[in-house]
Amino acid sequence: MTLKQFKILKLSVVFILAMIVGQAIVYHNYIISVVAMALAIMVIFYFRGRVKEVIADERDYEVGGRAAILTIQVFSWLTVILLFSLLVYYEANPVPEIMTAVMVLAYSACALMVIYTLFFRYYNKIAFLEKKFFYLVAGFLILLFVAVLGLRLISGEDNWVCDGGRWISHGHPDFPAPSAECKK
Amino acid sequence: MKNRIKELRIKLGITQEELAQQAGVRRETIVFLEQGKYNPSLMLAHNVARALKTKIDELFIF
Repeated sequence: MTLKQFKILKLSVVFILAMIVGQAIVYHNYIISVVAMALAIMVIFYFRGRVKEVIADERDYEVGGRAAILTIQVFSWLTVILLFSLLVYYEANPVPEIMTAVMVLAYSACALMVIYTLFFRYYNKIAFLEKKFFYLVAGFLILLFVAVLGLRLISGEDNWVCDGGRWISHGHPDFPAPSAECKK
Repeated sequence: MKNRIKELRIKLGITQEELAQQAGVRRETIVFLEQGKYNPSLMLAHNVARALKTKIDELFIF
């Protein structure tokens, strides 16, 4: 497969995917969009491997790196400016949706910077370490994450507890009390 | 960095596309290299020099 054919195919896949995701959102069937995205990625990766020509070389990676850094900086600054503008607006008009937007912006900016830092550290240091050591650290971090998540879920924090025939909040549950009758 | 890539390529009678294939890069990278707008890695410089049947220090003007 030539590079040109691959580019046409990639564009077609993205076009079809956009249509499927659009329709899935309209019909509130989000599983279809997730499955379609996974399939699209698989199709693109499969055909990418069949291209005989060079798809990207060292100059592309260098340009991509510079563009990525600039994108992160621009996105972060724009997010901070927008975030504080929304907070100022929220002071005057305390609409809950504004606070939700502020939270989404704040978390997305933080997530972007954390992911960038993790990859930067990986390529800066960890990529040059022994693979065995890397797998050990990665395994430990995954176990730690699972353990913390498990404890958080099992502990019953931020939940509704049945006490004396009434549902009493334990912690700060972000969902309403159960509609079932409390019989304890 | 100034270089003699274009001069040697024309001398050998090969196209930018052919040189790119031999060096394992895209044609656009060869264009940037010839114009002195891109400083290649040591590996790419070696590959280009080998494709042009010369040495790195004869290809690039330091």
